[in-house]
Amino acid sequence: MPYENHLAKELQTLGLTPPPIEIGTRDKIGQTSSAVALGGLRTLVATFMNLRAFSYFQEQRWDELADTFETIVDLAPHTRYYWETGSWHSAYNAASYYMNDSKLSPLRRREAWRASIMKGRSFLERGIINNPNDWSLLATLGFLLSDTNKFPAFRDPDKSFAAAAEAYRRSADTGNAMPYVRRAQLYSLARVPGKEKEALTLARSLYAGKQNRTPTLLILLFILDVFENPNLDATARAIEIFGTPEKAYEALSGHWQRIGERFPVYGVASTLEALEKTLNIPKEKSILSEPLRQPFNPEDLFVK
Amino acid sequence: MTDTTATISRGSHISRILVIARHTFTQLVRMKVFYFLAVFAVIAIGSNFFDLPQHEGPESVGVNVLRSIKSWSLGTMTLFSVVLSIVATALLLPKDIEDRTLYTILAKPVPRIDYLAGKLLGVLLLVFVSLALMDGLMTVVLQIRSSMVLEQQLAMAQSLGWPQEAINSLKLETAAQGPSWSLQGAVIAVFLRASVMASLALLISTFSSSTLFTTIISFLIYFIGHFQADMRNAYLQAGEAGEGVFARLVTLLISLVLPDFQNFNVIDAVIEGQTMPLLILGKLTLIALYYALFFTVASWFVFAEKEF
Repeated sequence: MPYENHLAKELQTLGLTPPPIEIGTRDKIGQTSSAVALGGLRTLVATFMNLRAFSYFQEQRWDELADTFETIVDLAPHTRYYWETGSWHSAYNAASYYMNDSKLSPLRRREAWRASIMKGRSFLERGIINNPNDWSLLATLGFLLSDTNKFPAFRDPDKSFAAAAEAYRRSADTGNAMPYVRRAQLYSLARVPGKEKEALTLARSLYAGKQNRTPTLLILLFILDVFENPNLDATARAIEIFGTPEKAYEALSGHWQRIGERFPVYGVASTLEALEKTLNIPKEKSILSEPLRQPFNPEDLFVK
Repeated sequence: MTDTTATISRGSHISRILVIARHTFTQLVRMKVFYFLAVFAVIAIGSNFFDLPQHEGPESVGVNVLRSIKSWSLGTMTLFSVVLSIVATALLLPKDIEDRTLYTILAKPVPRIDYLAGKLLGVLLLVFVSLALMDGLMTVVLQIRSSMVLEQQLAMAQSLGWPQEAINSLKLETAAQGPSWSLQGAVIAVFLRASVMASLALLISTFSSSTLFTTIISFLIYFIGHFQADMRNAYLQAGEAGEGVFARLVTLLISLVLPDFQNFNVIDAVIEGQTMPLLILGKLTLIALYYALFFTVASWFVFAEKEF
């Protein structure tokens, strides 16, 4: 008995046996499935439940869907797919459904939309607590927190971007993450006021690797450089980073229009002006005289 | 007893057990138990089609199907092996009595422990062969599918210009969901659990009056065994909770006599892609061996006194 007791504890510490099924879960899956799950087939019952969840998704029964995923993750707490799918259904599918639900008043639609996104976030955060070394769960949380269509739900965008950057950092630090994760950390960090210096250091280290030189990274490197050194010859730096004045103008023009994503724009307008002079772009064709594209704001959908 | 006589006696013990085991195996195979392999094949192949729409990044395409194949296959193996070990063992003694084979065997100088050990070994051989066949099929299906998934992922990674280290990381992650040594370890864990159940069913069948009784009681004990940890904790913490002597005795008895089947549930973690250390498998084997021996010796004590 002491040997078995010791082995049971060792298996739980190694994450090889899950914690006992909670009474609430036993009730939800029914007696037969409970017996099957107790008989050592928890992942099989979770697979069945996932099929059931898919039916709920097709029927847009969001509450049942969320309940089913609660049960699924209790049965298989180390399967990344279930945490990510459960969170996705809440934060994306249910949230979009409530956004357009004509049966609800604008105020209730707004609250249901926000509550679904928050539910998706907390579900994912629980998944991370259960699987702290899973790079994908952390990256998914970072994506949710920095999603242009979602961050208004979190009230304070600065805090959301800081949390997203932290999630991406933890994901990349696991050493198993895909290469885009570290860049995504920079994209979030650059949007947090007061973190410009940290972001610049990261941008410079990423720039050192040629495979990281995406248009957004180049733009952020330029902007953060200008922020750090206000006396810098911004136009010369832009040409140095982008290669030619034409490429610099094209990249910075595109960035100027991305106002909905809340990226910093230090020195962009003045550099665009200087580049327009260099490239002889007439005033009427200037990107700065074009009206800015109105960013998508979910709040607009809740006023009708 | 001289050394030569002792060697001959040991040798004949083993050969007698092997003869009975081979006979039992043949007897069970003639009952057409391998038909279930067709059902397993359908399940293993069918699980390839549970490919629900996914929202994850392109690097995760198809990984869920690999998990589905493992989950269905190992689930079916667990179910078949437990049912097979209980029902086959429960059938053996009554069938030998009914066919009068038992009287013929026991009329000869065959020690009863040899008879029981041979019978148990025959059942375990059947379970082992069944699991090996199912494992082979699962591994083939999983290998084919994981190669397809990996091929798809590598094409994606190369088209996106991923660096080699990222591609290697992706390969490792997908390989963890494919056939692995841990997966083979999980199949062994399934076999170990079935072995304990077979020896337990053997013990019950030595005093039971019918096959049905043995089967039902064995299944009940199988489920109770999954709560053994609760009983053990109740016993170990009994002093703090202030339970009575009777409750402590019951929990102690269950904790001592029944194995903790939850320990064999490492298969769930393996399905989820975790690695099972060899040491853990060794410890599980020790526990299974202890219970199998304990139940077999207990069966011998009961069976030795039985009049036919």
